[in-house]
Amino acid sequence: MIWLGWRQQRTETVITAALLGFVAAFLVPTGIEMAHAYAHDGLANCLGLNTGPACGDAVSAFELRFSKFTGLVGWFNLVPGLFGVVLAAPYVLELEHGTHRLAWTQSITRFQWVRAKLALAITSTLVAAAALIALYTWWRVPFVHLDGRMDNGAFDAQGTVVLGYALFALGLALAVGAVWRRGIPAVLVSFVGYFVARIFVDTWLRQRFIAPKQLTFSSGRGDPPALWHAWIISEGPSNAQGGPAVFPRGGCVAHAQHGFRATKACMASLGGHVHALFEPASRFWALQGIETALFAGVGVTLIAFAGWWTLRSE
Amino acid sequence: MNAAAIRAQGLGKRYGTTWALRDCVLDIPAGSVTALVGPNGAGKTTLLKLAVGLTRPSAGSIEVLGSSPRDDERALMHRIGFVAQDHPLHLRFAVDEMLALGRHLNPTWNDELARERLARLRIPLDRKVGKLSGGQQAQVALTLALGKQPELLLLDEPVASLDPLARREFLNTVMEAVSESAVTVVLSSHIVADLERVCDHLVILSESRPLLVGSIDDVVASHRLLTGPCTDSPGVARVHDVIRASHTKRQTTLLVRANGHVYDAKWQVHEVDLEEIVLAYLGYGVDVHEREAVAS
Amino acid sequence: MIQFHLERNGVPTYLQLVQQVQQAVRLGVLKPGDQLPTVKEVVGMLTINPNTVLRAYRQLDLEGMIEGRRGVGTFVAGGVAPVPPDDDRKALRGALERWLKAARAAGLEDDAIATLFADTLRPPALSRVA
Repeated sequence: MIWLGWRQQRTETVITAALLGFVAAFLVPTGIEMAHAYAHDGLANCLGLNTGPACGDAVSAFELRFSKFTGLVGWFNLVPGLFGVVLAAPYVLELEHGTHRLAWTQSITRFQWVRAKLALAITSTLVAAAALIALYTWWRVPFVHLDGRMDNGAFDAQGTVVLGYALFALGLALAVGAVWRRGIPAVLVSFVGYFVARIFVDTWLRQRFIAPKQLTFSSGRGDPPALWHAWIISEGPSNAQGGPAVFPRGGCVAHAQHGFRATKACMASLGGHVHALFEPASRFWALQGIETALFAGVGVTLIAFAGWWTLRSE
Repeated sequence: MNAAAIRAQGLGKRYGTTWALRDCVLDIPAGSVTALVGPNGAGKTTLLKLAVGLTRPSAGSIEVLGSSPRDDERALMHRIGFVAQDHPLHLRFAVDEMLALGRHLNPTWNDELARERLARLRIPLDRKVGKLSGGQQAQVALTLALGKQPELLLLDEPVASLDPLARREFLNTVMEAVSESAVTVVLSSHIVADLERVCDHLVILSESRPLLVGSIDDVVASHRLLTGPCTDSPGVARVHDVIRASHTKRQTTLLVRANGHVYDAKWQVHEVDLEEIVLAYLGYGVDVHEREAVAS
Repeated sequence: MIQFHLERNGVPTYLQLVQQVQQAVRLGVLKPGDQLPTVKEVVGMLTINPNTVLRAYRQLDLEGMIEGRRGVGTFVAGGVAPVPPDDDRKALRGALERWLKAARAAGLEDDAIATLFADTLRPPALSRVA
């Protein structure tokens, strides 16, 4: 059964490996470049809250230089979904072509067949996802040092969530395919479902996992320690009590086009406050755990459903 | 001599509110080659699926090689070979990868015999299954079923989509397997012509019910065609089972299952071949109201 | 090696095989000691049920026409009815030709003659109901 499972999955294994290769082809050279620049510019000395203007410049320069990469890497969010749906395809195609009935009339039971196929799909998906995490984590080291790993772009690729994403996509494709029994449509529909679910969690649900903290601080003295490497959900000018502020007319609006840091500096000079809604860096693993459990839990449930439905519907 | 290879009692299977098979009582002797005939939708596939354990009975019971196919799945599986109607095969696999599948999934697989069989049929081992002809694909499916050296071989319309030459070659392979190992064969088909030379037992199914079960010798010996003037069918019907009656102005023709000798001198008695008998049971050549009268 | 063939003439298959062996022996195509094809070979030639072949061979064995040698095969028995000498055959052929002439004179077409002959030739057992 092991031989059969791998043989049946041959094409999809190649596709998955090719995807990983494609990702690596981008991440490895750029990662090396970034690590080199980080070391070369001595940015390790620029970590910490308030490190002076020279560091500020160096860090800005670094970020400017590599921000295009971090933008592109956002597209790689699709990759765990691709792993899941591609590795679900062999199972669904067997159902579509009826070859599962061939296996069932050889000397293995239906349950053994379903179990072996699903186990192989899960294992392959987890291995691919783990490889992806390893690549991402290595690549992102300089940025994690500088900016932490709590903001959306980084969070999606660190820790364990990628395992959850891939399992979710796998489960969705298996469940849809077990009921629908058409390979290509099931894969497409599931991929869209994955995409929608990811957007939903990223933009709306994640910040509601744990009630965010709030902080009002004066904008003159730079960011308070609590905000160090935190995920800033929202941030805006306020009065000393944290209520909405009358935005200083004229003066600082002109600074807005240079980004919020510049605006804050301008406002500092005007004596204003900032109110922030955020998740502190200390909550990284808690949030990772919740999101992983959410996606993986739904994924595993869908996988179990797919197996049950296959056995039941004959 | 014969233990039953398949024994069914009151066997039935329902899908939703429709009965695909009901009231099925069967005793298929070990070592026999049984033809399972009937029109499409008569319940042939359902019966075979019940026998191989792909589905569970809704009523009654079925016993295969002495065990229950669903409950004793593990013990029975390597003793039963099955070729489904559409004989699903992994089209992207090469032929010898299909053999590898057989080898890995069947503890009693005889690889040498399987290769020898394919070599005799001149089916190339390195070709992808999807590129073989229909007849060759059917032979590969048959090899997969026979490779585990089963005691029982179930074939569901295996030759329906094949040309006559491929049909003949397929049945030839089955017959050679029977001569090698005394495997019991149940072969369903709606093509009656092939079956008389190959089968020795018969099960006729129609509209989910069995109409006739028995050895072909007995069936042919006990059925007769009676022709005579247009009267006295009831007289005959009192003694013998009238399967089919057809009337013209001048003559009545009855196909009967005779209980003993036909003594009535009014009737000319002829033998009937198997195909005619089967067609008569399936209702060919009968007026509607006649068929209802005979349906008991 | 004898080549079997089947005809759709209402004669049961096993009996056709028996008759073909008997015919072959009578004509000298099969001589005592010649090997008959194995069950598997006959099955391969004709695509028929092996039990049919076994039945034919059993009948021939009962009639003393063939004998099985364990592990070796099935052979034509020695001392089988000899081929009738040529004069007997010539006489039979002459009688047949005269009979045919008489049948045609009586108005029988070739078809009717063939039917009459086949009916007469068929073994009596078959016209009884089981």
